[in-house]
Amino acid sequence: MEKNIVIIALFAALIAALGLVPKFTLASGIPITAQSMGIMLCGTVLGSRRGAKAVLLFLLLVAIGLPLLAGGRGGLGVFGTPWAGFLFGFPFAAFAAGLIMERWRSDNIPLVAGCAAAGGGIGALYLIAVPYYMMATSSGLDQALFTAMLPFMPGDILKAILAGYITAGLAKARPDSLLSRA
Amino acid sequence: MGQLISNNGQVSIQGVSLVKSGHAILNEITLDLSTPRIGFVGRNGSGKSTLARVVCGLIKPDQGRVLVDDIDIFKNRRKALSKIGILFQNPDHQIIFPTVLEEMSFGLTQQGYSKDAVRQMVAEALAQFGKAAWSNRSISTLSQGQRHLVCLMSVLAMQPAVIVLDEPFTGLDRPITRQLTQILEDIDQTILHISHDLEALCTYDRVIWLERGTVQMDGAPQAVLPAYSAAMDAIGGQDVFADITG
Amino acid sequence: MFSLTSPVKSPYHNVPPGPKFFLLMVASITLFLIGNIYLQAAALAFVLGLYLLPGGTFFKEGLRMLWPLWPFVGIVFLWHAFTHDILPGLIIILRMISAVALANLVTMTSQLDEVIALVTRVVTPFRRFGLRPQILALSIAMFIRFLPVLIEKGGLLVQSWRSRSTRPAGWRVVVPLALLALDDADTVAEALRARGGIEPDKI
Repeated sequence: MEKNIVIIALFAALIAALGLVPKFTLASGIPITAQSMGIMLCGTVLGSRRGAKAVLLFLLLVAIGLPLLAGGRGGLGVFGTPWAGFLFGFPFAAFAAGLIMERWRSDNIPLVAGCAAAGGGIGALYLIAVPYYMMATSSGLDQALFTAMLPFMPGDILKAILAGYITAGLAKARPDSLLSRA
Repeated sequence: MGQLISNNGQVSIQGVSLVKSGHAILNEITLDLSTPRIGFVGRNGSGKSTLARVVCGLIKPDQGRVLVDDIDIFKNRRKALSKIGILFQNPDHQIIFPTVLEEMSFGLTQQGYSKDAVRQMVAEALAQFGKAAWSNRSISTLSQGQRHLVCLMSVLAMQPAVIVLDEPFTGLDRPITRQLTQILEDIDQTILHISHDLEALCTYDRVIWLERGTVQMDGAPQAVLPAYSAAMDAIGGQDVFADITG
Repeated sequence: MFSLTSPVKSPYHNVPPGPKFFLLMVASITLFLIGNIYLQAAALAFVLGLYLLPGGTFFKEGLRMLWPLWPFVGIVFLWHAFTHDILPGLIIILRMISAVALANLVTMTSQLDEVIALVTRVVTPFRRFGLRPQILALSIAMFIRFLPVLIEKGGLLVQSWRSRSTRPAGWRVVVPLALLALDDADTVAEALRARGGIEPDKI
């Protein structure tokens, strides 16, 4: 039981660290943050329940005023934009990614993890973020897709692929590190 | 282990200064390092590790520059990779890849060698240490001492002219430390060795004592080491915790 | 671990976080119900006035915290300019800036330990759902304790990369970092158990 609590806290810290480690970027030159990739990893590595809890802890710490989002952002203000749907969607993204990882028992880890990361980090996430945007701005689907999906999609596809590789790398380095497959 | 061409690199540290959060971590350090074996001693926080990273081009100094064999290792990263390598304290903070082969191939691939050449060079490096069987081994199956060796082999495979050792034997038991020390004794490269283990530095050509970002003493180990040792003992007799600022 | 609380003292610092959060909720909902551009502009002016009260330094700090909004403002503006529908776009923008500015104000004027205390109090009725205040407090403490450690280890791995490659460190270093996080978790869990562990709830 202690192990669960500790691993959740540490992976929440890992999400934060991915945005705060100096000189670490996902793709050279392009300002894509690695943090939403951390969300996907919480799901693919820890599984649905622990992954979601880790993300919730992370969001709580952002909300109480720690500058954990890439760029040193944090506090309640980040929940005040119409894009806050992404933040609210993060725990669901991790949960969905974890669920796919747990249920789809193929041995092709890069494929499963990549699909899980995409299913959670793109599928589930945008299903919440886009309607939230529409609600927050009283706008139609076309505007929401342009302003809330289009700018982020390419980066998120890249992150899902990388999350797949990272999860596979973990499985290769240490097979029992994938708690989602324990 | 005789080699026709000496790989003894020359390091020139010129007026290097670095300030962080208002503190001077390194204070106008100027050193010309040309002997094959040079030791660095100093308390934790004296700036040794930071200097090591500046010398390798991993941290940019606020002032000054470092030349290794006349190459500015911060401005010319490409050439610098072939000139100077570094070994950290903890191999778990240095090894990036899951297998020995991948870890050792990384630097060589980045240097631009072809796939076949890389495979060849890694095989040669492993054979040199009698570890050909390690090629496909997973890092997680190796002990701490073995992981240190993997890091060392990875650095040596890139054939640098200078190797920086940042307290690389911390936490290892005596037999392993002796083995790794023995290996290092035989290599041709210039070694800059930061260490708390004064015994290891006795046979070195030169020892530099760093204190609060400046050179406190610089000379033969017979002169510097006893002086440093005495100073450390004196501090040990005082209340070291009184120094902590809130 | 530093927080976003402002070192510049304001009268708002003395107000306990609970009432501030409540007022923020009420104000945010109100902002969303207002569809009139003049009222939105007035609201924003009022919010900016709140920032001016404690002085110029505080105001500038507040503006700095609002700066990261610029891409969002840009995207909304682009869309509405493209569809020749500027007015609704302006309302969205003004509302967003006001809402974020108010939320930032609460963050800037609340001490971290007070906020954590508030959160653990709020969470207490949810005990029956398995969320115990002590566990939450412990989780927060562990997070704050280990974040700098992970950042440092990540930094070392990035240095290891850069000592062998001119390319910027990429996804590869996340694997060993995640492994280190898993190992740290094992060690800490062991330490917790050695100190008596966490007792299961005795409901």
